[in-house]
Amino acid sequence: MSLNLDTEDDFYLEENRFKQCCAEFIKHSQQIGDGWEWKSIKDFPDGYMSKTHFQMKNGNTPSIFKDSTKENDEQTFTHVEEALDDSQASEICATSEVIRYEYHVLYSSSYQVPVLYFRACFLDGRPLTLDEIWEGVHECYRARLLEGPWDTITQQEHPLLGQPFFVLHPCRTNEFMAPVLANSQRENRNINYVTSWLSIVGPVVGLNLPLSYAKLVSEQNTKTD
Amino acid sequence: MTDDKDVLRDVWFGRIPTCFTLYQDEITEREAEPYYLLLPRISYLTLVTDKVKKHFQKVMRQEDVTEIWFEYEGTPLKWHFPIGLLFDLHASNTALPWNITVHFKNFPEKDLLHCTSKDVIEAHFMACVKEADALKHKSQVINEMQKKDHKQLWMGLQNDKFDQFWAINRKLMEYPPEDSGFRYIPFRIYQVTTERPFIQKLFRPVATNGQLNTLGDLLKEVYPAAITPEDGEKKNQVMVHGIEPMLETPVQWLSEHMSYPDNFLHISIIPQPTD
Repeated sequence: MSLNLDTEDDFYLEENRFKQCCAEFIKHSQQIGDGWEWKSIKDFPDGYMSKTHFQMKNGNTPSIFKDSTKENDEQTFTHVEEALDDSQASEICATSEVIRYEYHVLYSSSYQVPVLYFRACFLDGRPLTLDEIWEGVHECYRARLLEGPWDTITQQEHPLLGQPFFVLHPCRTNEFMAPVLANSQRENRNINYVTSWLSIVGPVVGLNLPLSYAKLVSEQNTKTD
Repeated sequence: MTDDKDVLRDVWFGRIPTCFTLYQDEITEREAEPYYLLLPRISYLTLVTDKVKKHFQKVMRQEDVTEIWFEYEGTPLKWHFPIGLLFDLHASNTALPWNITVHFKNFPEKDLLHCTSKDVIEAHFMACVKEADALKHKSQVINEMQKKDHKQLWMGLQNDKFDQFWAINRKLMEYPPEDSGFRYIPFRIYQVTTERPFIQKLFRPVATNGQLNTLGDLLKEVYPAAITPEDGEKKNQVMVHGIEPMLETPVQWLSEHMSYPDNFLHISIIPQPTD
């Protein structure tokens, strides 16, 4: 599966290729219970990848959620209510400390790259402000993000759902993906564009990918070698 | 014969007479009079309503004032859409003035983006300009410009300075002499009835046979439901800047002459009025 290369050697991701990458990604997510799903839009061929997870304000995952593998949102919320009735209530210092993060991976036809949209709210429904989101960004990423308006996190309208989300601006994606793609070409190894891209941008906003995603692709490469 | 350049001025100087009324549940120290204003079609609500804010804040206590937001007939108005688009979409076939309700409480978090300063509007505007150039020129023209040129686009819009704006914007409207137009046309199609805010797809201004694609061609490819069938009744209006351009109009021409300052063609599909 080769990439679509322009005459100028730009490493664009074509839309169907994006969907293929997402399909492979989700297949692996299902195998390891990582919670990613494909969501379609009614009456349109468009869709996006979606994942929801919970975190304590200090960055830890509340332990009552660690065992969950295939829960949907409603089940996880009930889980919280049940825990609060039990003595596990002490595990969650205050419901106000638990944050629900929702991540969406969409395709931008303008930039021909994937884009990460996300939003976060406390369990009582109160959305996090941009400042509170910033607090969750690790020190090591902050300086880079503050450098320019194009690399930063801004609030934007979700192009498919029409609701406010936060976005990492996509216009520089090509820049940081180019060396990754060039390398993979040189070594004649296949990569999943979406996996590589998400492993770079995800951690900036609290989204980490288990290493098994990378192992999957390298296994595929070994088989074809 | 009118010059095509006159169209640029007509688009830039379009205005909508608007009446702003304070929401009845806002707490006031005395009665709030409505405020009348001519809104520039090409600008953004939060950029041109400082006077509206000041007018109503005069009759309110500081503690009752949080972020301002606007609503029309119960629908929160998205400040990040250009004013002309909002009007065409929601109120083009109703009597003037456009009646907008002003709120200072209960900001609708699920519907509207926050707009805490002019910087937010500038960032949004420039992001649109950048995206439009990604489509037209693979971002080459916008990236070659200096920061001061970007600033000039914004200042031109903010201060309603046509010449200042177009001194820079004309570069974004150029294309290589060997091509017949832009790489892709920056456009968005809007309808009130959908959850999805707009439709945006890759669309070339020139067909493979070298013919210029028209507005009708664009709609046929991207949103065929908007076009009236041969023998059918006209159900929709396809509106840009308050008018219905002929479907035979080349999209390249529309893009060069009827885009908003963000360089996008914002097209509204609204129900055909029945009168």
